[in-house]
Amino acid sequence: MTNQETDNGTTRDDLLQRVALMETMIAEGRKSTARYGWIFVMWGLIYFVAMGWAVFLPFKDWAWPVCVTVGVLVGIVRVRRKRAHGAAENQRSRSIEAVWQAMCVAIILYVIAAAVSGHGNQSAYYAAVFFFVGLAHGISARILRWGVQGLVAFIWWGCGIALFFFNTRNEVLFIFLAAAFFGMILFGLYAMMLERRRAAALVQHHA
Amino acid sequence: MPELPELDPVVHGKLRLAVLSLLIGVEDADFTWLRQKTGSTDGNLGAQMLKLEEAGYVAMEKRFAGRKPQTVYRMTPAGREALAAYVAALKQLLGTAL
Repeated sequence: MTNQETDNGTTRDDLLQRVALMETMIAEGRKSTARYGWIFVMWGLIYFVAMGWAVFLPFKDWAWPVCVTVGVLVGIVRVRRKRAHGAAENQRSRSIEAVWQAMCVAIILYVIAAAVSGHGNQSAYYAAVFFFVGLAHGISARILRWGVQGLVAFIWWGCGIALFFFNTRNEVLFIFLAAAFFGMILFGLYAMMLERRRAAALVQHHA
Repeated sequence: MPELPELDPVVHGKLRLAVLSLLIGVEDADFTWLRQKTGSTDGNLGAQMLKLEEAGYVAMEKRFAGRKPQTVYRMTPAGREALAAYVAALKQLLGTAL
């Protein structure tokens, strides 16, 4: 194939470069417009801390309300800071944010109500939290058409079901830590790796 | 022989084309996000955005995110039409250059 000049005065290579540029930028604009992998890692760690507190420390009914509230506040501050450094919005990003925001509100209300009424230390209580988290992952996976996140939803739901059948203190602890590790920390690290790879590809494109 | 189409010079500029391609996938985007995605400088991007605004292809809005001022851009219907026409012209030109 030659780099012959079109009748318009531009070369074929020049036009092909424009096509490639458009494809890259359209894909970039349509991707989820923010980086959220760190949030999953943070929540995974918060779950570990909250569970450790609920099992090993006093005032166990307050472990979840306190840890979840701290997590939400840290999340809000970090998201606001990141947005100050540039943001774009599309229907997809807004849908995903809405799902996770609604899930956060639901969990906060749920854990506070459970703590106040003294129902905060039963396996069914934890199972409900798992189903909330699995639901948010499942909806995000459908919106993003992302199989890995769909798998994460099933991890949470599977662990939620398991809690109804294995409900000694050690079993609950083990299931919870497994869900937090695979369904949050590991998934968050994977998402962060993909985000970095995408950012590196974009830098390479501009170079 | 069919007449070859003209490429819209406003759309054809590399940075302007990159911005329009980004904006078509989002509802709106702030200046900083566009600068990050295109890897351009403040001055260059600002100048190109002005050209797109003058052509009526993007609309600009100043607003505040908390206390920070933000310049937000969105693509206008005229911008969408111009990009669609540009793509059609590109297809035709590439077809003749084969």
